[in-house]
Amino acid sequence: MIKAVPTLDNNLNFLTKIQRLSWALILFIIISAGIGFTALYSAAEGNLDPWASKQIIRFCVGMGALFFIAFVDIRWWYRLAYPLYFLGLILLVVVEIKGHIGMGAQRWINLGFINLQPSESMKIVVVLALARYFHTATPDDMRNIRFLFPAAMLILTPVALVLLQPDLGTSLMIVMAGITMFFLSGAPILYFIIGGVLVALSLPVAWGFMHDYQKQRVLTFLNPESDPLGSGYHIIQSKIAIGSGGIEGRGFLEGTQSRLNFLPEKQTDFIFTLWVEEWGFLGGLFLLGIMGGIFLFGQLMAQKIRYSFGRLLTIGITVNFSLYVFINTAMVMGLIPVVGAPLPLISYGGTSMLMVLVGFGLMLSAYVHRDAKLPRM
Amino acid sequence: MSLFQRKKLHMVGVRSGALEQARGRIVMMSAVFVVCYLIVVARSVDVMVIQGVMMNKGEEVSLYEEYRPEEKQKRRADIVDRNGVLLARSLEVSSLHADPKMVLDPAKLAQDLKYIFPDLVYGDVLKKLQGKNRFVWIKRNLTPQEQEAILQLGSPALNFKFEDHRVYPHGELGGHVLGYSGIDGQGLSGVEASFNELLHNAQEPLALTIDVRIQHVLRREIAAQMQKHHAKGGAGVIMDVRDGSVLAAVSLPDFNPLDYQTAQDNAKFNRVSLGVYELGSTFKIFSTAALLEKTGGNMHQTFDVRESLKRGRFRISDYHGQKRVLTLPEVFMHSSNIGSALMGEEVGTEGLKSFYNDLGLLDQSKIEIGEVGKPIVPSPWRDLHTLTASYGHGVAVSPLQLSSAVASIVNGGNYVQPTLILNKKSLGDDNKRSMPDQKLRLISPEVSHRMRQLLRLTVTEGTGGKADVPGYLVGGKTGTAEKPGVGGYNKKSLISSFVGVFPSNDPHYVVYVMVDEPQGIKETYGYATGGWVAAPAVKNIIASMASILKIPPVEGEPRIEESLLRYVKTKEQIKEEKKLATY
Repeated sequence: MIKAVPTLDNNLNFLTKIQRLSWALILFIIISAGIGFTALYSAAEGNLDPWASKQIIRFCVGMGALFFIAFVDIRWWYRLAYPLYFLGLILLVVVEIKGHIGMGAQRWINLGFINLQPSESMKIVVVLALARYFHTATPDDMRNIRFLFPAAMLILTPVALVLLQPDLGTSLMIVMAGITMFFLSGAPILYFIIGGVLVALSLPVAWGFMHDYQKQRVLTFLNPESDPLGSGYHIIQSKIAIGSGGIEGRGFLEGTQSRLNFLPEKQTDFIFTLWVEEWGFLGGLFLLGIMGGIFLFGQLMAQKIRYSFGRLLTIGITVNFSLYVFINTAMVMGLIPVVGAPLPLISYGGTSMLMVLVGFGLMLSAYVHRDAKLPRM
Repeated sequence: MSLFQRKKLHMVGVRSGALEQARGRIVMMSAVFVVCYLIVVARSVDVMVIQGVMMNKGEEVSLYEEYRPEEKQKRRADIVDRNGVLLARSLEVSSLHADPKMVLDPAKLAQDLKYIFPDLVYGDVLKKLQGKNRFVWIKRNLTPQEQEAILQLGSPALNFKFEDHRVYPHGELGGHVLGYSGIDGQGLSGVEASFNELLHNAQEPLALTIDVRIQHVLRREIAAQMQKHHAKGGAGVIMDVRDGSVLAAVSLPDFNPLDYQTAQDNAKFNRVSLGVYELGSTFKIFSTAALLEKTGGNMHQTFDVRESLKRGRFRISDYHGQKRVLTLPEVFMHSSNIGSALMGEEVGTEGLKSFYNDLGLLDQSKIEIGEVGKPIVPSPWRDLHTLTASYGHGVAVSPLQLSSAVASIVNGGNYVQPTLILNKKSLGDDNKRSMPDQKLRLISPEVSHRMRQLLRLTVTEGTGGKADVPGYLVGGKTGTAEKPGVGGYNKKSLISSFVGVFPSNDPHYVVYVMVDEPQGIKETYGYATGGWVAAPAVKNIIASMASILKIPPVEGEPRIEESLLRYVKTKEQIKEEKKLATY
């Protein structure tokens, strides 16, 4: 009656680990990064500098980190989950106290060799900590508010700190990643409904706490034509550029809207716009296909992992990634308000690239050690 | 089964249940993301394919769009006169509009605009630029220089709208014939309307039979007479009697087709082809021709005009009363109503009616414009109408109809249909209306010749003396009709006209001038009759035409009317007769 549990070798040798990597996922990551390099090369009007070259270096460093993390035994990451979480929190506090002013918001911390954005890394460590917390949860626990409350605090503490920066976009992303973790762990659907109602009720209050620029973004989203030279400018220009791509695009290095500086932030948040203007609808579908592929691999990988921590981590990171893809592409096409959400793996940005790769590294680590035995308690 | 075992079994059940739930949650999460994914894909189809590709067609995108030559071909075709002089052309003009939301510095922009368009008021422009609208007109119909200056400003708020404007370089001249076309480029009247399709599609200009120079002369002379005699209106036609082509058609007052929206209805009314009038004694040409053709009447036939003609309760009397027995040429040259009525009576109701019908007097003219009046014909046509129709009352026709009927009489007797189109073959399928009916002989060449003689006689000896131009053998007939008013004809409001043909030995042109309600003046001894008002205009017109068209004078100035003179009593003879009568 009892299924024979196969003997788990918790100490795989290095070659086995290489075999057990999801090479398909790694291929898709490389293709995505390649799309990013191409777009950044074009954004600089056919130059590697200033963006593409740096991005390539960061990608290489990030891939190094990815492989390193993937080969480290998942039980180490299991043990390090909370320490890493608290390290992230400390970094957020440090930013708050002694941050550099960048773009009107204190988001960077200068570590000498890199301007680290702790709020970016927080997205990963929150998922990590929650996966650790829910790993031991029983169905009874998931219905118990007293069990769920500490988990909620794991989300809300960093969110509060990120909101202080202020960075509404990132804090929302952390909240959504956290909610996903709750959902995947089996929290009752009723709680989500209650939470949703509470959020809806608190929206008018939140509106009062919002910065003027945030209110403006929402209003602009509702009617971008109301202020075509002001806050509606981004989205109008973006839609013009996307529309001008047509089916086949204007061709590599031929995008006029993006390259003639009609489009601000073309190398970061609006890189999708630049891509589809030059590569058209087909290029856009290709990009979305690659991104969808990454999501699909995440799902398939999660199915094979035999312990909750790994499953939750994998799905959490995949969802986080896909959420960014969705929000970014929906934003540049005017489906949702403009929020500062980069297109992961493609947008120019050091911390973002690094953290996405670190996240995939953790996923791969869980996958490589998919048969590992983790303590239930 | 031991307790331990059972417990373990329970644990496995719980775990596998949790696992199943976790799987379920993953699937739900995946489903949510698949939906998000589909939304993004759908949106890209919307933005890129539907909005980007399909809707951008034909939409104004920017001024930097490449020039499309096929658009130039779409422009409405030109209209030219018989010598290729431009009468109407479509030009692309730009109008300037602004989007106030896109204005960076309204005060600065208003200042710049004021500099480029000095006639704009700074305050007005500023107000417009600060307004809430997303679209305000700044200036319509820019010159290319102004357009260039605006482009140099480089303001993103300013944009052009390009429209085709129909311009008429000759202004009022020929306005009624050309007609006008609306803002959307659709012809609304005249040739513009009747050949709307053709002009829309054609590459080649449409050539009219009009000669702008002759048109100008005709307008000038009628306008001069109208001013001199304080007339209400006027009309005139110059037609080639051999093919019916209209060299000039004037209706006064007139209007500039560019300003058709502000022009008054009175000015827009086409008196040449749309207006129908009882044109009076010029109709005696037709009744006389009918008598000669249908009854074989001859020159020594006499008509007793001593007494008014009483038919039933009606009485017909003469304006230029001769009060004696007149020969046929005398009836014609002195324009005796009684005499013509007697001629009509002799021809008979059926004969006269069918003759008028053959001349095209009883049906709408088949000229190629829409503004064609329906003649007023007595219905039922009683015998009395035959009498009045013989001297041009009771039947109302347009000056154009009269002119083409006269052309048919004097050109040797063949029916001509008036036309405005120089080259009928250019019309393609559109030419059904303008194809003349098959050649139709109305009167014999002999009768036609007699009519030329009679017309010439009227100028040399009768009422049309003021129309003569030495060397050009002008023939003609006056017409002075009282306009029908309330309770009968009004003796004070007249339609005074003259129809001239020249050279009368072999007529080429008929020149018709009609003045509506002229007033007698001192210079004309208070007369406002056709002979005093219209005939001098015809004389000036023919003199000008001769020099413009380089028509040489007829050598030796043959007296074609000479053979008729023996039927015409001189003043001395008449005095002698009266003396004898008193004895």
